[in-house]
Amino acid sequence: MKLDVNALGTFYRMAREGAGLAAGRLTHMLGVETQLGVTKLNFMRGEEIRHDFDDSTEKVGVRVKLTGAIEGYSIVVFERESALQVVETLLSEAGPDAAVDADVTDVDAFDEMTESAATEVGHIMNSGFIDGWADVLEAVIDVSTPEFVEGQTAEPFFGDIDEAPSDDDLALLFQSRIETVGTEVGFNHYLLPKRESMSRLLERLRTSDGIEYDKLEGFDRMAERGAKEVAETATTLTGIDTSVEIRRLNFVSLEAIPEQVANETLVGAAFEFDGLPSGYLLFLFDEESAHEIVDAMVPMAVDEDEDGFGEMGTSAIKELGNIMASGFLDGWANVLDTTIDHSTPEFIHDIGAAAVDPVIIQLGENQDFAFVFDTIVVADGREFDCQVYAIPDESDLERALNNLEVDRIEETPTTAEFQEVDNT
Amino acid sequence: MKTYGTEPGAPTPVQVGISELAISDGDDTLKSYGLGSCLAIALYDPKTGIGGLAHAMLPDGDAAENSDRKPGKYADTAIRALLRRMVEQGAHYTDVEAKIAGGSDMFEFESFGEGVGQRNVAAAKAELEKLGVPLEAEDVGGDYGRTVEFTPGTGTLIVKSSNSDNGVTKL
Repeated sequence: MKLDVNALGTFYRMAREGAGLAAGRLTHMLGVETQLGVTKLNFMRGEEIRHDFDDSTEKVGVRVKLTGAIEGYSIVVFERESALQVVETLLSEAGPDAAVDADVTDVDAFDEMTESAATEVGHIMNSGFIDGWADVLEAVIDVSTPEFVEGQTAEPFFGDIDEAPSDDDLALLFQSRIETVGTEVGFNHYLLPKRESMSRLLERLRTSDGIEYDKLEGFDRMAERGAKEVAETATTLTGIDTSVEIRRLNFVSLEAIPEQVANETLVGAAFEFDGLPSGYLLFLFDEESAHEIVDAMVPMAVDEDEDGFGEMGTSAIKELGNIMASGFLDGWANVLDTTIDHSTPEFIHDIGAAAVDPVIIQLGENQDFAFVFDTIVVADGREFDCQVYAIPDESDLERALNNLEVDRIEETPTTAEFQEVDNT
Repeated sequence: MKTYGTEPGAPTPVQVGISELAISDGDDTLKSYGLGSCLAIALYDPKTGIGGLAHAMLPDGDAAENSDRKPGKYADTAIRALLRRMVEQGAHYTDVEAKIAGGSDMFEFESFGEGVGQRNVAAAKAELEKLGVPLEAEDVGGDYGRTVEFTPGTGTLIVKSSNSDNGVTKL
């Protein structure tokens, strides 16, 4: 099985199109404005998918099995509160009689009526996605009857699915988020395609030689090594005990990358790197974390002005960024058996999206999509929230991966451990 | 980010994401967040109150294959698409005025050459001049990000910059 950027681009369009239709239908159904969050193609291990789900919040989902042009499962997942709110809106829209029973948010369990209403909503959303994909693929996708699923972990959602990847398998996952405007209702959508079906589609959509799917293993190993180096470096330099909370490889349209960055003032360092691959690397902290880091690194430093970082603070962030960048790229170079150089750090203290857009503009001259190595490093009990974006030049990355010997990947061990984070 | 709305004239400002453009009139506001080297291009007809905002990412759409599908992505095609859609809505070509903001150069990377922000600003100015649309005001360049909010009815472009010296500018 081989994939290329054109095939992945079609998948991405499929996901966007589907999410658009699903959002439109939710609007129609509930009479509220909805908006699309970020749509991503993630390459994730089964272990990471499970970790993602395992955030001890109650979730409900609606799952359908797909056959035809795409085989696999399409699952709409709501946080339980969101689902109840949606059901309440829906039932109160249904008329005054239904509205009497519509105060369901206090109920502990889904009763028959709320369950069937939630299933209905989930099914309409699933159908929206699937119709969007079918449009893009110009093919027929058949859908099973919807199944209502409830639980805190991945087990009830994916546990009984044969297609679900085992802990070490790398799966392609379609992920979208839709939110209603002005309220807290949001849901995530997952498409888990069957490997053979994916392979057939990739074959059909591919327009170049592309990359052997198994080499994506190398991607994942790069992401893992890079992330691990960053966390270790940060711990050594700041004395704050940090660990990798999330690391994943996304395939997204360039425009979607700044949308993903928090719409607030962030602090950090940016680099360009050169080698095979070349590209850009950004470390972004929220302001609170940045202050904490500066305090940890240079305890004697006094901020020159209230919201600034002063000369000492700026150089501390740049120094930390510089060493983290070296660690990250060394991790990559090690997996790829090459050397990657990086520039001196550029200090960032700005709106998050504004720091990312110059990079996507530069890459946008030659590519529409990018693989983004997306990493979040956190500390237990202290403010340390670091987002790492590594965005390599697409053609370089393809060459780097093609040069990669799959046997070598096997020799580089996986050692990353995920830390449980208390979200309360 | 695209919003799937139900009622026209809903009070939430319409968000114009990267590579997107939107047309509106009256007191509706159009908003673009976190412009770095991207350029916000606001066109409006003061007489009819019809206007639009584009959040362009690259300078030259004529040289790109997909500018038909995504006119908002490029400064030149975004200006033409805005103008065309405004005229379709009833704006008068000869009355249309322009304001631009953004196009900063955040980083001095070797690969960036003369500056990605500057290229966007230059392309927008050249296209406006070619079409005879006067540039009424601009807040461009520098090395900091901006968020803009545009009200077509009044032609007001509010620019919030992250640089504490500049704060909020009303164009």
